[in-house]
Amino acid sequence: MDWQDVENKLTRFIKDYVEKTRAKGIVLGLSGGIDSCTIAVLSANAVGGNKVHGLMLPEKETHNETDIKHANLIVNKFNLTSQLCDITPVLEAFYRSIPVFDPSEKVCKGNIKARARMIYLYYYANKLNLIVCGSSDKSETMMGYFTKWGDVAADISPIMDLYKTQVRKLAQHVGIPKQIIEKPPSPALWPGQTAEGELGIRYETLDLILYGLEHFMVTCEIAEQLKLKKDLVEMIKKRWISTEHKRRMLLTAKLEYRTVGTDFRLRRE
Amino acid sequence: MIMKQKFKLALAQISCNRGEKTENLKKIEKIVTKAKKHSVDLIVFPEMALTGYKVRDEIYELAETIPGPSTSIVERIARKTGKYIIFGMPERSEKTQATIFNSAVLVGPKGFVGKYRKMYLPTHSMFEEKRYFRPGYQPAVFDTELGRIGLIICYDIFFPEVARLTRLEGAQLLVCISASPAVRRTFFETLITARAMENTTFLAYVNLVGIEDGLQFWGGSRLVGPQGKTLVEAKYDEEDLVIGEVDYSDARSVETFVPALRDLRPELFDKLKESAEKL
Repeated sequence: MDWQDVENKLTRFIKDYVEKTRAKGIVLGLSGGIDSCTIAVLSANAVGGNKVHGLMLPEKETHNETDIKHANLIVNKFNLTSQLCDITPVLEAFYRSIPVFDPSEKVCKGNIKARARMIYLYYYANKLNLIVCGSSDKSETMMGYFTKWGDVAADISPIMDLYKTQVRKLAQHVGIPKQIIEKPPSPALWPGQTAEGELGIRYETLDLILYGLEHFMVTCEIAEQLKLKKDLVEMIKKRWISTEHKRRMLLTAKLEYRTVGTDFRLRRE
Repeated sequence: MIMKQKFKLALAQISCNRGEKTENLKKIEKIVTKAKKHSVDLIVFPEMALTGYKVRDEIYELAETIPGPSTSIVERIARKTGKYIIFGMPERSEKTQATIFNSAVLVGPKGFVGKYRKMYLPTHSMFEEKRYFRPGYQPAVFDTELGRIGLIICYDIFFPEVARLTRLEGAQLLVCISASPAVRRTFFETLITARAMENTTFLAYVNLVGIEDGLQFWGGSRLVGPQGKTLVEAKYDEEDLVIGEVDYSDARSVETFVPALRDLRPELFDKLKESAEKL
């Protein structure tokens, strides 16, 4: 891909949406990871760093000084506005107030963190008339590797059509420091969590499988071309298909003439 | 070929497991075996019974040529049981890799008989068939021991010319397989009867049931006689298997009572074509 061209298209896309919605700027969750840093830079290039609000939303269990340092590096390099909110008290209030809360169920608990972060982002968006810019990439979106209504919640999601390995190239192109690009990606929902560890596959391999599926290749062809076990490719395909519910408008029963999410086909900005 | 004047058919109103051809084929076999006990000669399954209706992008992988691997399995079932079977499936053109038709297949005790490619592809409201399918261009009527059977599919029934053309090609029994959601029920219930009456022919309508992507297929499969009378009718919304009887001699009195085919005015069709082109 021509990364300058991709950068141009994405910055134009962001700028256009902000202008059409008459928003005053952009708010994004800035974790210090490659996706959010790339989105922060694209946003700054699109509307100017002073109109981009990077929210750092750490919590004590996954607090990582290096990530905060990386987020600040981007804030300073691209002149963003930033704010740090420690979400620990909010999370602890959640844990305390749920009668059936079980700390050992780490996915349920971790999802509270992702959804709490979403609430912070939308608070800022409402208060300051900002657009929430999401940083989900295509690999995690296809795998359903995100929290429904959590980290994926946004008004626009500019890099959702780029696989993680492509985001790495774009990140390099837009000037994201090497140490951010090279560190292992993590949703930071519990200590020690890494995306590749949890997905059970390296992004280099995953993205090639997903690329094959995107291009309507059948699993045995993909396995043969990539010299992988067919079971692995099948497993990825199953996961992709079974997580469609996380990527679509709410499902309703078709009862009437035109139905939300089905056959209302209105223009959007 | 000796043709039966009178025979029984089964309307196999099923729900499908989307994307699971092997399971759906097993279901077809099970129902054919069950229907056999009722001495039927023909078992009709709904549109896209092989794969489920709303499979979206998976259709490219699910579609097969006709004849092909899945039709040969159904042929085997037909040979083994000595029955005729009609079912729907996505058909991939032999000449391309991603040109697909929404097809109906007819197999019989001696194997593959024929296929029909849906002519009218709904692409409005919740339907997106033109996105995936190429339309068919030919009516389909096949000589069988059960008379001349004509095939049409679902939305075709809204266009009287499809049933009419199939009838004029000699169909004595029109079979309409369908995947019609509940919001369309009242249209279909009227049109099924109308197509049978205006063509003075039997019409077997077999609809899907179950819920796919929020679409609730209403079932209500039925056999309508040439006088427009509903002879048997399946339940709404649930799987069902109903048996009806076709007796071609019933058509004679209707054809004399309301001789709609005798009174056809072919010259109007030229006018119709001209007007349609200018719509």
